[in-house]
Amino acid sequence: MFPKDIRILIVDDMLTMRKIVQKILTDLGFTNITAAEDGQKAWEKITGTVNSALPYQLIISDVNMPNLNGMELLKKVKTIDQMKPVPFIFLSAEGEKKIVVEAIQSGATTYILKPFTPQSFSEKLKAAYDAHSTAKAA
Amino acid sequence: MSSQAAKPISSAIDNFDVRTVFPFIQATIDTLRVQCKIVVRPGKPYFKTKSENLPIDIAAVVGLASRTLNGSVAICFTKKMFLAIMGSMLDEKFEEITKEMQDGAAELLNIIFGQAKKMLNDKGYEVERAIPTIIRGDNITVTYLTTGQTIVLPFDTNLGPFHIEITTEQPGKKY
Repeated sequence: MFPKDIRILIVDDMLTMRKIVQKILTDLGFTNITAAEDGQKAWEKITGTVNSALPYQLIISDVNMPNLNGMELLKKVKTIDQMKPVPFIFLSAEGEKKIVVEAIQSGATTYILKPFTPQSFSEKLKAAYDAHSTAKAA
Repeated sequence: MSSQAAKPISSAIDNFDVRTVFPFIQATIDTLRVQCKIVVRPGKPYFKTKSENLPIDIAAVVGLASRTLNGSVAICFTKKMFLAIMGSMLDEKFEEITKEMQDGAAELLNIIFGQAKKMLNDKGYEVERAIPTIIRGDNITVTYLTTGQTIVLPFDTNLGPFHIEITTEQPGKKY
């Protein structure tokens, strides 16, 4: 599993969902969690920290958001060299195959489908860590 | 039964694409079971009459747009039911609907819509992505700009009832 002090950025336009994800992550022991209310705000946070000592190390993002959507955010994040290896997890109600395929082809580590339970979220997070570790070692 | 009484689904079936209904029922059952730990029992769908005012204190509405279908979907709650659902979803106790938590109605609809959209698009509807909006007030009425009929999907739970309203019109079809 990801280290508990990993710097996590949650991106979702719904406060309720940000609270749900934050609570699950806190219950799992993660201590360094920040939230952004859309892709544009997330992008500002990412670019504002990427050259600091504390860049984000894991991004968990919704797909369907106003301003900058999750797919656009992922593509922008992958243009920053330092952020390319950072795991990017989608958390979305959009379950259509073409969207999931586009997400993975664009560099997403995994895709968590809403609705989810704390347990299924945790399992997906662990699977994302395993996939990320394998890709890093290759 | 008066002329204003709810029409059974069979009498108006020709004017409404009933294939849109099941995905929303299934998605609602799944969403509330998984995300809110609530068992939902669907009631019998019926067509809403113009004069019918169901008790609603908060609703989330999303546009339903595709090549073959236009309309909207609304999930509607009384204050008591919404607070109970949000309490179960967030493991908190709420006394009032606050600005901070009212987007929970939109998030629930977003999840339901996402699942239903997948089921509809698997059947070739090509429903587009949309972002829900919130309507809030005491005993509000949801009115629609579309001219099609509105079908009500009633649901019951151990915490109380709520319902979904689906209004659709097929381009070029007269109602």
